[in-house]
Amino acid sequence: MKYQLVSGLETHVELATKTKIFCGCTTAFGGEPNTHCCPVCTGQPGALPILNKKVVEYAIRAGLATHCTINTTTHLDRKNYCYPDLPKAYQISQFDKPLCEHGYVELESGKRIGITRIHIEEDAGKLVHESGYTLIDYNRGGVPLIEIVSEPDISSPEEAKEYVEKLQLIMRYIGVSDCKMQEGSMRCDVNISVMPEGSKEFGTRTEIKNMNSISYIDKAMRYEYERQCEVLNDGGKIVQATLRYDEKTGETSVMRTKEDAQDYRYFPEPDILTVVIPESKVEEIKSQLPELPLEKLNRYIDELKINPATARLLYKYKKVCDFVEKVISLGASVKNAVNLTTGVLYSKLPTEEDKENFALPVTAEETAKLIKLADEGKINITLAQQTLSKMAEEGNPVSAYIKEEDLAGVDDSELEEICKQAIENNPAAAADFKGGKEKAIFALYGFVKKATQGKADIKKADAILKKLILG
Amino acid sequence: MKSTILHLSKMLQSGEITSVQLTEQYISAIEKENPAINAYVNYTFDQARANAIEADKLIKEGRATALTGIPFTLKDNIATDGMLTTCCSKILQGFKPYYDATVWSKLKAQGAVLLGKTNMDEFAMGSTSETSVYGAPLNPIDKTRVTGGSSGGVAAAVCANLAAYGLGSDTGGSIRQPASFCGIVGFKPSYGAVSRYGLIAYGSSLDQIGPMTRSVTDAAIIFDAIKGEDKKDGTSVATPSGETKLIGDVKGLKIGVVEELTDGVNPEILQAVNGVIEAYQKAGAQVVKLSVPALKLALPVYYIIACAEASSNLGRYDGIRYGYRASNYSGLDDMVTKTRSEGFGKEVKKRIMLGTYVLSSGYFDAYYKKACVLRGEVEKQIKECFEKCDFIFAPTVPQTAFPLGYSGGNATETYLSDVCTVPVNIAGLPAISIPCGKDKNGLPIGLQIIGRKYDDERVLNAAYFAEKYGVCEDIQFDGGVKL
Amino acid sequence: MSISQKEIQTLARLSRLEFSEEEQEKFIPDFEEIIAFADRINGEVVGDTSSIKEVAARTIAWEDLREDEVTDSLPNEKITSNVEAQDGYFPVRRVVK
Repeated sequence: MKYQLVSGLETHVELATKTKIFCGCTTAFGGEPNTHCCPVCTGQPGALPILNKKVVEYAIRAGLATHCTINTTTHLDRKNYCYPDLPKAYQISQFDKPLCEHGYVELESGKRIGITRIHIEEDAGKLVHESGYTLIDYNRGGVPLIEIVSEPDISSPEEAKEYVEKLQLIMRYIGVSDCKMQEGSMRCDVNISVMPEGSKEFGTRTEIKNMNSISYIDKAMRYEYERQCEVLNDGGKIVQATLRYDEKTGETSVMRTKEDAQDYRYFPEPDILTVVIPESKVEEIKSQLPELPLEKLNRYIDELKINPATARLLYKYKKVCDFVEKVISLGASVKNAVNLTTGVLYSKLPTEEDKENFALPVTAEETAKLIKLADEGKINITLAQQTLSKMAEEGNPVSAYIKEEDLAGVDDSELEEICKQAIENNPAAAADFKGGKEKAIFALYGFVKKATQGKADIKKADAILKKLILG
Repeated sequence: MKSTILHLSKMLQSGEITSVQLTEQYISAIEKENPAINAYVNYTFDQARANAIEADKLIKEGRATALTGIPFTLKDNIATDGMLTTCCSKILQGFKPYYDATVWSKLKAQGAVLLGKTNMDEFAMGSTSETSVYGAPLNPIDKTRVTGGSSGGVAAAVCANLAAYGLGSDTGGSIRQPASFCGIVGFKPSYGAVSRYGLIAYGSSLDQIGPMTRSVTDAAIIFDAIKGEDKKDGTSVATPSGETKLIGDVKGLKIGVVEELTDGVNPEILQAVNGVIEAYQKAGAQVVKLSVPALKLALPVYYIIACAEASSNLGRYDGIRYGYRASNYSGLDDMVTKTRSEGFGKEVKKRIMLGTYVLSSGYFDAYYKKACVLRGEVEKQIKECFEKCDFIFAPTVPQTAFPLGYSGGNATETYLSDVCTVPVNIAGLPAISIPCGKDKNGLPIGLQIIGRKYDDERVLNAAYFAEKYGVCEDIQFDGGVKL
Repeated sequence: MSISQKEIQTLARLSRLEFSEEEQEKFIPDFEEIIAFADRINGEVVGDTSSIKEVAARTIAWEDLREDEVTDSLPNEKITSNVEAQDGYFPVRRVVK
């Protein structure tokens, strides 16, 4: 029998606030063990949590960016379970009144993956196992998280991958998280079940915990789908269980089954009052939301007429987009701004992270100046590329590379004269071109460039040369 | 030397005595008398001597307040930087916090002198202080009797004049009941009026720190010193700043007498309470008889909510970061389970188990959820009651001090003895217990005055009338007028 | 109200407590007594309580929430002052016999 995959994701995203969710300790990554700590985040007796406003604000932002409704009256709850990385033996989270509910993330196919809820909670500390000892570091304890729970709307590993990428993009765009899966600032629990194709009744599900890379999510889902199909085809039953994925073997294994499921004994957190968010605040946050990734992609393609492949190269990186848009707003042509960015600047930014951070010493203002020179034909595109490359490395303004006198350009009659000389000096090339060898014209370009020290507009030269040769 | 804060303060400010001298007097009294009553479980004499030197400086510089230089004590569940804070539990053995409770910071800043930490029921769970790992404190008035609890050590210390005053905590009566049993004044402020930061939690939505003193005036002095909003406690509220003005005029006040708080109370106690009410009537107060049926629910509601919160609050004692750790175990889980099983006493375990039970799936709705709903009903009915009166007068406890060992075999009866105090915590109200006479065995009786939420100052004023006019002879008063 | 051994064991596991058989024998009647006491909200209460609504919880206004400003953390020596720290960590030996 053929089975349909049914999946929903629970995604934990660490919020990029300066301080922890319930105390003023820094959220900075790393640090010597137990140095970003205080009585509150190490669960000292008598210490009390004080909710960080920014956490609520960021979570609302995340909710609005995923089309959720915001519960303007919301409270926190205690989720009770005992583990050494959880210093109070309960995690302050949200149970029955999450901050955000009923949203969706749209995939490029137009399919919407429903968002059941987004709630705020605190992260746990870190355990290190070493020669007979378990060592505990609470630096991460109390770092704010949002948990984004999707509906079981995902029906393939490809959709899961796109959903996670879209979420990542959205969160980065709105500035609430860097969503670095390798640093753990974004991680997913994947729920999977299968049902006979065409069926409407979900099968028993399993949950793969703590996935920290998109490619593992993909692999784990494929593995688990195959496994479940096989069990059912062999006449077996799926056992509801929590699984872990082994990155080395590519297999899932059981962490715990339903029988020893936790009873979290949720109840309202008595140390934190119910939070009332003014409607006007929600409106304010909404009005400050930036253009979202899909909106931007569509605008790039439809309005700026950037070709879809190039638009895709750009829209994934918010800072790059901000840069390009600024360059364009300063008067540079869309085409040159986009091509120089994805051509020249991307060559300096080999990794995803480099592009994400976009930390080149070149400013939009100077880039716009340079591109305008090219746009106006005062320099040719090759010189523009070479100059931008130097600017991006050295951080100097355009004026450091291109002098006023270089910008005189070459007037049309002068250019025609030089083109004639080019043909006279390269009769063979001219003849070859005339005979149909298109590439032969490059030799003539070379002459023109050399004679004008790169100042000539090669497009114009091309037209003149062709006119002269072909008549 | 059985003196109030006000009296001692006058002596200090006039130079009749220095804080260092006064402190030494208290220290020698404690060394001599504490072994017989077990009020203190940990002395902080070095701290006290250092505080006293500072206090004398403040006095000399004219920067003293009413409590500067006056020796006092803290219940052992209030965190003190660098000093043992154990909740009288084995599980917190050796625990020295590295932070101060807000109340201690505030008092220290005014030059208070901390003599030591006092005995209590383990994690404040009890009404007799007998569940303390250090053994029960004894009632200085009759050493065969309990001090009450859970702030029994503070009550005993103040009663025996081993401290001028103390701070206790009150979750279901733990300030007022021992104050009643030991014949002193105990004030439980409105929930939120005093910061809970550094108070080791029992039932977070019920816990409140308050003063235990020898006079109403003293209670007001200490309340003023510790009250107010605290950035470290999100449930604290801004109280009217400035000094509580004690006038003691009761003319026109409506005193509510609530049937559910007087039914079945020992006649001797009722008589003493009624005697005080009559004195108020003579001075122009009116009495209104009322019924608040939901109060019958208050006790089970209290035990469900307090234990639910406690089961969560006490989850952190796992032997990893502080306190006791089991010495033999076969893995991390086993370490935690052994530590807790060895570290907690019987009553604490019982309440943790009850709390776990009422929160666990399948029982949550029938117990915890329902208790929260009923808590709302209790609050609502009390609020309605306060539309008809300004204060409720009631016995603090329907009994006088139990004999030692009695409550061990009479758990339910002991729980029931909290009937008059528990509703106050459920509704977050201010209430004071003042001594109002003695039973035939010479044991103190307490009168409780309960006010509307955030009417702390009015409650103190209502009680002050009794002090000012000598209505209750056992309250120490400096310069009062006999009625 | 009677509580089975199995229920006690489940509650003990969730509470991170263990009772020897002897302790359990003593504990069960005590526990039944306190449950019976709590159960008064279900039994002894007269009248219909289903129409009663929970009172609205106290609330905190937006402007009273904490601003996202870093305050100094405490030095590691303080944080770990109640244990024998190892390289700044809270250490737990996994097995001690």
